[in-house]
Amino acid sequence: MSTDTKEHDARLERAFANQARKRWRRIKDLLARNAIGFGGVAVILAIVLIFFYLLLIVFPLFQPAKLESGRTFTAPAGTPLLLAMEEQREVGMLATAGGEVEFFRIRDGSPIARIAVELPATPTGFGAGEDRTGIFGYGLANGQAIVVRHRYQVTFPNDKRLISPVLEYPLGEEPVEVDPQSDALRLLTLQVAEDTAAIAAITDDGRLVLANLEKQESLLGGGGWNLSSRELLPPQGDIAFLLMDKDQRELYAVTRDGHINYYDISNPADPKRVETVRALPEGSEISALHFLTGGISLLVGGTDGSIAQWFPVRDDNNEYSLKRVRGFDPLPGAVQAFAPEYNRKGFLAADDQGNLGIYHSTAGRTVLVRKVANSGISQLGVAPRADAYLALSADGLRFQRIHNEHPEISWSSLWGKVWYESHAEPEYLWQSSSADNDFEPKFSLTPLTFGTLKAAFFAMLFAVPLAIMGAIYTAYFMAPPMRQVVKPVIEIMEALPTVILGFLAGLWLAPFAEVYLPGVVMLLLALPLGVLVAAWLWRFLPGSLRRHIPDGWQAALLIPVLCLIGWGAIALSQPVELWFFGGDIRKWLTAEMGISYDQRNALVVGLAMGFAVIPTIFSIAEDAIFGVPSHLTQGSLALGATPWQTLARVVILTASPGIFSAVMIGLGRAVGETMIVLMATGNTPVMDFSIFQGMRTLSANIAVEMPESEVASTHYRILFLAGLVLFMATFVFNTLAEVVRQRLRVKYSSL
Amino acid sequence: MASDILNTAIADLEHSMSEEPRTHAIDFSRLERPAASADLGQEETCLETRNLDLYYGDKQALKQINLRIPEKRVSAFIGPSGCGKSTLLRCFNRMNDLVDSCRMEGEILLRGQDITRASLDVADLRRNVGMVFQKPNPFPKSIYENVAYGLRLQGINERRTLDEAVERALHRAALWEEVADRLDDNALGLSGGQQQRLVIARAVAIEPEVLLLDEPASALDPISTLKIEELITELKENYTILIVTHNMQQAARVSDYTAFLYLGELIEFGDTNTLFTNPGRKATEDYITGRYG
Repeated sequence: MSTDTKEHDARLERAFANQARKRWRRIKDLLARNAIGFGGVAVILAIVLIFFYLLLIVFPLFQPAKLESGRTFTAPAGTPLLLAMEEQREVGMLATAGGEVEFFRIRDGSPIARIAVELPATPTGFGAGEDRTGIFGYGLANGQAIVVRHRYQVTFPNDKRLISPVLEYPLGEEPVEVDPQSDALRLLTLQVAEDTAAIAAITDDGRLVLANLEKQESLLGGGGWNLSSRELLPPQGDIAFLLMDKDQRELYAVTRDGHINYYDISNPADPKRVETVRALPEGSEISALHFLTGGISLLVGGTDGSIAQWFPVRDDNNEYSLKRVRGFDPLPGAVQAFAPEYNRKGFLAADDQGNLGIYHSTAGRTVLVRKVANSGISQLGVAPRADAYLALSADGLRFQRIHNEHPEISWSSLWGKVWYESHAEPEYLWQSSSADNDFEPKFSLTPLTFGTLKAAFFAMLFAVPLAIMGAIYTAYFMAPPMRQVVKPVIEIMEALPTVILGFLAGLWLAPFAEVYLPGVVMLLLALPLGVLVAAWLWRFLPGSLRRHIPDGWQAALLIPVLCLIGWGAIALSQPVELWFFGGDIRKWLTAEMGISYDQRNALVVGLAMGFAVIPTIFSIAEDAIFGVPSHLTQGSLALGATPWQTLARVVILTASPGIFSAVMIGLGRAVGETMIVLMATGNTPVMDFSIFQGMRTLSANIAVEMPESEVASTHYRILFLAGLVLFMATFVFNTLAEVVRQRLRVKYSSL
Repeated sequence: MASDILNTAIADLEHSMSEEPRTHAIDFSRLERPAASADLGQEETCLETRNLDLYYGDKQALKQINLRIPEKRVSAFIGPSGCGKSTLLRCFNRMNDLVDSCRMEGEILLRGQDITRASLDVADLRRNVGMVFQKPNPFPKSIYENVAYGLRLQGINERRTLDEAVERALHRAALWEEVADRLDDNALGLSGGQQQRLVIARAVAIEPEVLLLDEPASALDPISTLKIEELITELKENYTILIVTHNMQQAARVSDYTAFLYLGELIEFGDTNTLFTNPGRKATEDYITGRYG
């Protein structure tokens, strides 16, 4: 009985132990399953998060512009000629025909100050300079003009911001004698710069006069303006608009029926009329004319609502002619007023039906068209930060905030050819920033994408044959002990920081290739040929000698051959250059072939980045070839195939999915590679496929420009967009590669 | 005869029980040299080995093999694992060359021609001595291309010639009926038995003189095995067939002659019926009665 109990106890114990073991196993199972699941999900989540972060930054680029609900208040009295606003959108300004300047609070339209400009005679004409400068002036009945500037002083009494408007006389309170014949000035245009100023005017009797002023600094301080005025060739037609650019180089006298007289006044002593062009078709008239910021482009608004951009284009003979560059979506009514944004190439336009349009010139884009008034808008002013506008209509003054952060972005400005200001023709350009606010940013991603693909192409051109041939040899022919050395060594190359490859390429290889260009080119041709010749000669060696080299070790014999060829090619470089290329191959290339040579070019990048992707491609391809089941090769050999036939017909075929993914992963690496292209390309965003030219890639561009771009600016977001493009490109490449690989695998995979 | 076997078996049993602890080794003192070669009678010799030694590095895998394989007959090699029967088979088409450390001495004559000499075109030899492996190894190509592979290797690319050869080979391998309407399908879609017959068709397509079968049915189910065995019987009308097998029933069923190898030595080679019913050596008898192996 007792033994029975004991036995029973023992069994129970075992059962419990069993239970405990089972439970422990279940826990381990559960842990493993969850940990692995968590890891997998976390990886996917991380990638999705990166994607969404990029999207989040990029998204505002594509948001449409918005108008806040505005307010309308009574306009100050008088015939309005100019409407403007200061930066903080607190104080507005209206200049009237009577020579009175009214400053008012934008909050409610209540007046701050009403200043009368001291006019020695009746004002007959009015003109404004570049909007940003706040310069405007009155032409007087006696042929004189008076120039004023509105300016705003910001003070903080009691820690509260106080903006006080000021009216100044930049050329002095004395009027400027524009027309020596003292005829009344009907139309006026003027620009005032640091130490030069120019005033052009159409007189009552139809003459065009130009007065240039130059600042005279006297040693005793103070000083005055030196005046010289002359009459220009009279413009054709009845001039209704007169405009001078802010650099005082071009003058446009425009008739209402659409003729633009284009004067070149860059040399004040010898102004000339370049040409007269017709800007509008018969039947419509110009109803508004204004410069885009920077004073290069003319905005021409027609009575038919059409809006077009014109600027002078230089031809091959270095002569300028005025060209219509692009048109914009027309407004419903006749265009009455333009207001260019101060710091961007965008502008506002208003028509005689109360419609307001916001446009961007580079993007060729209509950002927004909205009816904001019940009657025609006669004057339009935009806030310096382009975040509000003032419009004067019969309803009164209307103020409205604008949210329009990124008007520069359109499909055509990112990917298409754009006709930029001062360029002879539409081009793909990337030039994101400059010192000058008048600069037109050029945000075309096309040259960057092109550069990325070009760099990748040349790298792959160098790497793919080398890596795949190397992989085939290593996996299929090489003696196993040699393979055990060669494979890890090449794989270690992958761990080499690319910044090291980059500076080697940029600081050593690029100058080296420049000096020994014939040698480097010969080297690239001679190495493969030399290997073939060496292999051919090998057959003629006596068998006794050949048998000394164990099978699969013959490749080691090539090392001295390669070194010799390398040395020979470089040593021959200069003699060859002397004999065939007149001592300077770069000059010869330029003169004879029309190829220009950059020191940091696609050849250097191809070699350096090729070097970086070879280990990736080699390693994966080698694994794939080595992994071809031996029973397949044996099956082929047993059918009487030579090793080469087996390789070509069975091994490569079976390994093709692996080789394909090796190439695609290599391509992905080449496309995303940053440091090498950053250091070895020169980073010039040119669209030239020449191997001797540099390029700028998307990734290098991000690296170069991200530190200097203002957070949340259009530039900043476009850099993120470039990142997103890279991300998507990699994604598309990899997905395509995977699809192809899967199909290959279904077709060629073996047991 | 049966009682003879029984008696020897009982004697052997007693012997092993009474004297020393039983081992898996053969008592070589009881072997007589030279190893008996079969009396081939009127048969013509297709393959012959003379004093064949084979080494893997320092290890000797085959010792002094002297063997004559008769023409257009099925000869089976049996023996326990590691006895060298597959190695011997691979000598006949020099597949052992693929093993780096492998070294061969002695002579192998194919119809009187020495095939061990260094100057021999190995690819040529393998065209004449086809081989089928244990595991079906069709190429990842269509059924048609698999069979046409050997012909294409020789530069034969005319569609008509290939078509005829493929059909003939598939008929011979008894596969034609099953695949005639899907010649362009991937060969990897076939069942294991079909794949093995396809591999035989592939080998047959180039019209070899000898077929080496290395355990051709060991990876197959019984029905496929049966088909392969039937096929072997049919094929021997045209080819000299050498088959390595683990399965003694199979050897007994399909072969005309059987060689028994043990530890790299040819113990006995002879007419299959005789060898199985009246083995000349004790070791053979031990093996075929399942005493070791």
